[in-house]
Amino acid sequence: MSAEVEVYFEALLFIAERPLSTAELAELAEVPRAQAEGELAALAERLQEDGRGIRLQRNEDAWQLVTAPEVGARLAAYAAREEARLTPASLEALAVVAYRQPCTRGDVERVRGVDSDYVIRSLLHRRLIAEVGRRDTPGRPVLFGTTFMFLERFGLTSLDDLPPLTSDAAQLAALVDVADGA
Amino acid sequence: MTQAEPMEPVEVGEDAVALPVGGAEFKLALPVFEGPLQLLLHLIESRELDVLTVPLAEVADAYVDHLTRHPVDTANLSEFVATAAQLIYLKSKRMLPAEPLPPLPTGSDEPDEEELRRRLLEYRALRDAARAMGEWDGMTPVMRREPRESDLPEVPAEPLPASILAEALASLAAIPEPAPPPPEIVAREITIGQQIAVLREALSRGGRIVLQAILERCGSRTERAVTFLATLELVRRRQVPAAKDELFGPIVIETLPEGSR
Repeated sequence: MSAEVEVYFEALLFIAERPLSTAELAELAEVPRAQAEGELAALAERLQEDGRGIRLQRNEDAWQLVTAPEVGARLAAYAAREEARLTPASLEALAVVAYRQPCTRGDVERVRGVDSDYVIRSLLHRRLIAEVGRRDTPGRPVLFGTTFMFLERFGLTSLDDLPPLTSDAAQLAALVDVADGA
Repeated sequence: MTQAEPMEPVEVGEDAVALPVGGAEFKLALPVFEGPLQLLLHLIESRELDVLTVPLAEVADAYVDHLTRHPVDTANLSEFVATAAQLIYLKSKRMLPAEPLPPLPTGSDEPDEEELRRRLLEYRALRDAARAMGEWDGMTPVMRREPRESDLPEVPAEPLPASILAEALASLAAIPEPAPPPPEIVAREITIGQQIAVLREALSRGGRIVLQAILERCGSRTERAVTFLATLELVRRRQVPAAKDELFGPIVIETLPEGSR
């Protein structure tokens, strides 16, 4: 029974022309949402562990089938896809959004200590980030998050694949110790 | 400017730094700093100091020195200056005899070394992440299925009638060629006053005129425009009423009955 739904999801996502949400998939399979979540996680794991040529990619609440990162470079040659390099400033802003999402332009500027209006706009233009809502603070600033395009470009199956920030927690803890000792 | 010529001492510009003057610490390629945190971190790292423990006041001089010698991006100048002020403050605190400071009121924007250090650490973590991302950017892309033909939006099935093009061309061709310019430029002045006189004259004959009929008789565009302005002027002075029944319809101007002026 369970395998049946998983197989159905695999086939459905294969023909889908856009990422499908968990809710949509649950409804199509006529299973509860929680079960759909489980089936999708199982499918993702199976594709990964069997080392298949396709993987299940997740962004927020949406799913799509993509090619495996291992063959990405060779596929890029076939698909003649050559992306323009990102500037160090764009990469910095993108890293802040990726690790701190959802976050505002102000958050990016606070971390980087520089005006980031232009880089944010260029990332939006490249569709590596997108508006995901507004923060409930004065001015209701726009919140940004990364997109499927971001995951695809960096060969990630989901945001969980982002390598942990160097040390964040350990260093901040050490900082507190230093402050206490001083 | 060549080297053979004797030169006045000149202000050393930013390019001049690249001249090979020797010295162990000399660097050929100076990184361009976009923000104060980037610069501060560079100064700390280039001295192989530990961000966690180095008193930030120790880099204050190097920071200010860098700013005086290298112009920075004006867009972020205030950020650079604010950080400079913060560092100088931290340094001044260290130089003064230790004295217990009164506790700061909460919400004070007094420069706080720990806060600055925390920002540096956070910035460093994300800068390093950005560098790493730059390394694997596009190296192992994953791809979704290319959209099939059936996924693409449909083109309108009904072609537009070709007659639209023909009509557009015909109406273009119907526009007369502009009249050739006069052989010499004739300075001619038409004033609103003159045209008011013309309108009054016309009104005095029938007591009622159609503005478009007057405009038809005008020789030039300027004359038309001034006549129109003259009409507006008369209406504004409430000397004549103007009425129009429909959009683009005839504008009728009348003389007012004697008593109502």
